Amino acid sequence: MATLELDSITKTFQDGDEEIVAVDDVSMSIDDGEFLVVVGPSGCGKSTTLRMVAGLETITAGTLSIDDRVVNDVKSQDRDIAMVFQSYALYPHMSVRQNMSFGLEESTDLPDDEINRMVSETGEMLGISNLLDRKPSDLSGGQQQRVALGRAIVRDPEVFLMDEPLSNLDAKLRAEMRTELQRLQNDLGVTTVYVTHDQTEAMTMGDRIAILDGGELQQVATPLECYHEPANQFVASFLGEPSMNFFDVTLEGNRLVGDAFEYPIREDVRADLGDATDLVLGIRPEAVELVDKAGDHEFETTVDVVEPMGDENTVYLHFDPDADPENASALVATIDGFNRVSEGDTVTARIPEDAIHLFDRRTGEALHNRSMKDAADQVDL
Amino acid sequence: MSDEELRTDGGATTTTARLRRNLDQMTAEDAGLYVVLIFAAAFYLVPIESGLVTSFKTGTAIIETAPFAPPGPSGFTLEKWQTAIDALLRGMGNSLLYAVPATVISAVVGSVTAYGLTIPTWKKSYKAVVLMLIIAGIFIPYQAVLVPLTQFWSQWAQLDQVLSFVWALGVSNDYAGIVELVITHVAYGIPICTLLFRTYYKTMSEEMIESARLDGATLRRVYRRIVLPLSGPMFAVVLIYQFTQIWNDLLFTLVLVSTESSPAAPVVLILAGLGTSLEGQDFALRMAGAFFAALPTLAVYIFFGEEFADGVAA
Repeated sequence: MATLELDSITKTFQDGDEEIVAVDDVSMSIDDGEFLVVVGPSGCGKSTTLRMVAGLETITAGTLSIDDRVVNDVKSQDRDIAMVFQSYALYPHMSVRQNMSFGLEESTDLPDDEINRMVSETGEMLGISNLLDRKPSDLSGGQQQRVALGRAIVRDPEVFLMDEPLSNLDAKLRAEMRTELQRLQNDLGVTTVYVTHDQTEAMTMGDRIAILDGGELQQVATPLECYHEPANQFVASFLGEPSMNFFDVTLEGNRLVGDAFEYPIREDVRADLGDATDLVLGIRPEAVELVDKAGDHEFETTVDVVEPMGDENTVYLHFDPDADPENASALVATIDGFNRVSEGDTVTARIPEDAIHLFDRRTGEALHNRSMKDAADQVDL
Repeated sequence: MSDEELRTDGGATTTTARLRRNLDQMTAEDAGLYVVLIFAAAFYLVPIESGLVTSFKTGTAIIETAPFAPPGPSGFTLEKWQTAIDALLRGMGNSLLYAVPATVISAVVGSVTAYGLTIPTWKKSYKAVVLMLIIAGIFIPYQAVLVPLTQFWSQWAQLDQVLSFVWALGVSNDYAGIVELVITHVAYGIPICTLLFRTYYKTMSEEMIESARLDGATLRRVYRRIVLPLSGPMFAVVLIYQFTQIWNDLLFTLVLVSTESSPAAPVVLILAGLGTSLEGQDFALRMAGAFFAALPTLAVYIFFGEEFADGVAA
């Protein structure tokens, strides 16, 4: 168990004469026993970051320390780290037992019977005791996944690294393993860094999430903070499904003027904006309400498409009934599954002022977020 | 298909019915294809068939029958095989004496070299240079090195003297040639073995190797416990290829051992003179000798056949 500290970690690759920056000045610290999820779109540098922590990639600049010991130049095998790969990377010629013993045999001086005991215990914990004598090729994907986990767990390392370990599983199994991994990590209390591109995994599993884009760290915070108080437009758009609605607006006095609507704002919201006038208005689909009465924050819209999800419906609304639905800016709303709306209906959509986010259009930086208090209140209601 | 064709009166007729149906449906194109295939098969098999039947013929049968025709009861004899085996058996032993160690050593060295050039993270530019030098070795023809090779063994490395303690034990000092053959074939085999193994190791899961490194294994241990056990199929390919090459090579044996009368003469040297005399060629004896000398390579193919298929597929 250990703390992990990344200080201005940078990685550049040389491609001919060109220098490609894969990871750009990333700093974060992970507490002892914490579960940190690193998330981002493909090519954002999340795997490279993980591989630098593992010692599989060299660090171009910055320092990496485990328990305050700088390990930049320490070899992978001496870092006391266990990693679970997306492909599981099991040794195909060894039985499950041999796969799990390998790490202990190579990294410790434990006697064979002790190793055997530890492997059996871990196997029991993961429910794979009956598979110990099989070869990986005789196992299903889910079982291989468990073996890969077991191989990491049995070593009792300082740090767990996981590189999209669940992405090769089917949806149902993935959801199960998600819960199980969380439980295991909690029981073992091992500092864990988990890389994924799946925002559901990021939201549900981690104590905190770190969001990367283009090699740069966008935000490190608890899942709810990232969701409700995103640091910038990228974070806001990356988390949430369907993703946040964005409208380009211009600040004129105390009103936000967009192509399709005008939106008056309160003085305290106005105060957050400072000098910026070119803004992006963001609103989460689940914050949009369909109401009966008209008002400043209510807009008449036409229903374009309804996607029933069972418990809820995702509806695509247009402000201008005559606009070409292909090009017109749509407002996506998630509403109760029993709320009957159908294509072509005219409905009034409310964009509650408490729930809006405002971003600087140039930098993407969040200027105003819905407050966590408001969000919490809404959950209570 | 009509109802009549679908209806059969039990299992007995089905085979012939199916055959007839297949023949009915055969187009001119299909027929042409089969004719070409049969012709091609015959074209490739006739020399082997001719050789085999010839090896069982008496002298008169060879003159009286066509080369590919079977000998017939009066022209059949096993005498030529008997003679060939008697003449070649000692050469077989000598050939195995250098072919087996040379094959195994070149395969092992090739595997280790390929591992070193593939798995560890070197600076890419160094790797490329070393690899290029090794690969260049594949393209040097045997003929081009014959003179330097004899000079090397006769002037620079005089094994004959170095190994004098062995000759003192009563071993003919001609066997120095066998040792020279082992070393020469190993040196010549390393490039191709390295290339074959490298191609194979490139396809190995990088994550698996990385996983082993993270599990605490050193480079050497990764090779011994992960890479080597997984190299089986490629070892089969390399062993078969190298063994056949070395076993069949005549040029180096001619230069390094030279005479078929030597006690250390390999099978290829004896075979070269077998059945040739002033009176003319004894074709039957030559054929019997050729087939007998080819048996070990055939055995190697059969022995490693399954792994060979895996390795070629990979």
